[in-house]
Amino acid sequence: MPGPPKPDTTTDPALVAAYRSGDERAAAELVRRHAGPLGRFLYSLGAEREDLDDLIQETLFRAFRRVESWRGGASFRSWLLAIGSNLLRDQVRKRRGKLVSLEDREIADGADPHADLAAVETGDRVREGLARLPRLQREVFILRAQEGSDYGEIAAVLGTTPGAARVHYHHAVKRLKELVR
Amino acid sequence: MSECGWLSDRIPAVALGRAEWTQQEVQHLSECRACQQEWEVVRAASRLGESLVPAADPEATAASVLHRLRRNREAGRRRRGAWGFAGFAAAAAVVAALWTGGTDRQLDRGPEGAPVVAGQLAIPLPELEILQPAELDSVLQMLDEPSAAAASADEPDLRDLNSDELERVLDSWEG
Repeated sequence: MPGPPKPDTTTDPALVAAYRSGDERAAAELVRRHAGPLGRFLYSLGAEREDLDDLIQETLFRAFRRVESWRGGASFRSWLLAIGSNLLRDQVRKRRGKLVSLEDREIADGADPHADLAAVETGDRVREGLARLPRLQREVFILRAQEGSDYGEIAAVLGTTPGAARVHYHHAVKRLKELVR
Repeated sequence: MSECGWLSDRIPAVALGRAEWTQQEVQHLSECRACQQEWEVVRAASRLGESLVPAADPEATAASVLHRLRRNREAGRRRRGAWGFAGFAAAAAVVAALWTGGTDRQLDRGPEGAPVVAGQLAIPLPELEILQPAELDSVLQMLDEPSAAAASADEPDLRDLNSDELERVLDSWEG
């Protein structure tokens, strides 16, 4: 006997609509789709590793609680990342602490330990460099580098113009290149 | 757009595996130090936190988020219920005050028949002061009885009324 229809083949807008109609499985599917990228995004913006689970949960909770405010102008994920970014900013402001701690280094799996080590070192330097960038430069850069978002979508999410987003991105690249060199 | 600018726009898509370099781009990349550095930076950024993904359990996260959302909805319903009850209690208090005031207006008339405002009943009025104890008792009794009857008789009906209906009831009581 066929089981209940699985929502994982539907689009994000369809899942959001299903959730708004009371289908909790749709919300669970959205969480499965976006929790990982959301965690990476927050980590790249400087969130502490030990705070990630709480930040992810809080972001998702807030997003679903006011899901009717997502109009579809930007993708659901970009909207989610923007909520996460605001939350992280609030947390940092409250703590008044440093944005990035590089004590907790990640080790990537892979076959070539030398190449991996180089990648991790570059990654650490990039993350450290990101922490020194102005907020908009940092967020534009990460949205483009991790999500591949175009400038129009980035502008819609971050409340700026596509032209300004492009400039922020190139400023970020320039400064990161200097730091990584 | 320069070749570096063109490549710069393409780097995120290639770093994310959504596009591939053309031969011409590979050639440029091998010769241009600035583009090599940009590629290195963007690729590293695109992979930041990759090792965190298996650590996060989406199922547990989903369950936890949904649990919080359910609790939040229930708390919202309780709050709305509490506010509804408070609103009803306030409406009932207004109705009771008006009812009592209306009765008072009928009862407390001066010698010339001038009405006395309900709020003034708390103050020892001359009109009441001239009444004999038996007359005062009978006034008190008349004040008490209709209020108690009104409260018990009207509560269940008021609960079912919407704000317009409540307004009409209040208007009819006020005459």
